[in-house]
Amino acid sequence: MEKREESASGFRKETVNKILHLHFKDDKTRVSSDALLLMAEMLNVFVREAAARSARQAQAEDLDRVDIEHVEKVLPQLDCCAVVCQMPKYTTSMQLPLPTHL
Amino acid sequence: MEPLGEQERERLLHTQVQGERLKAAVHYTVGCLCQEVAEDKGIQFSKQTIAAISEITFRQCENFAKDLEMFARHGKRTVINSEDVKLLARRSNSLLRYITQKSEELALNNLEQKERKKKKSSAAKGRTTSDEQVEAVMAESEDSNMA
Repeated sequence: MEKREESASGFRKETVNKILHLHFKDDKTRVSSDALLLMAEMLNVFVREAAARSARQAQAEDLDRVDIEHVEKVLPQLDCCAVVCQMPKYTTSMQLPLPTHL
Repeated sequence: MEPLGEQERERLLHTQVQGERLKAAVHYTVGCLCQEVAEDKGIQFSKQTIAAISEITFRQCENFAKDLEMFARHGKRTVINSEDVKLLARRSNSLLRYITQKSEELALNNLEQKERKKKKSSAAKGRTTSDEQVEAVMAESEDSNMA
């Protein structure tokens, strides 16, 4: 099961590297290969956690479809630090542009 | 304010385009991961939900990147390593345990790969060790993806 998930989906090392470099202040900053793989895993966990908690919230409301309000409800407890603290501002004015390829 | 130079404008534009492409990549991966969770839990995710989780994840990366860079700099390094990532996961015990375990697996694999390489190419010694290390890790990650 673990293996299947790893091969079927999850963040690619290259993508993670590029995203991190987008935000580095110092151009000299690099990321070791192991650190990249671990970061990819961190992001996988983060996304699954967000998805699973939102799903649980929806199910608690006896719904079979997870909607944005469920994400909003579980967001504050999502275990990651700083972004989450900024989230209330973000969620109340949530006007998410849907990516064009959808 | 001074008007931006041609070069500066170009750089900014490039960053923006790159950012959009990366966002799309994140959105795709989040879609796949949510699909797995959906099948697991027998529930559906609306498109807006997936977009929201993508956006949150993308923003989360900014904090991750800044923290990692600072941790490395605190250790007087320019290369971010596994220890920095572990520090990032420190707030949650279970996450830290999981990441530490993954990290040990990776370290072990690297060691094995290095041993194997040493035996194989002890005669043909052309490249530097750091090159070999990077290659070993790349090969490793491909192996585990196949499994």
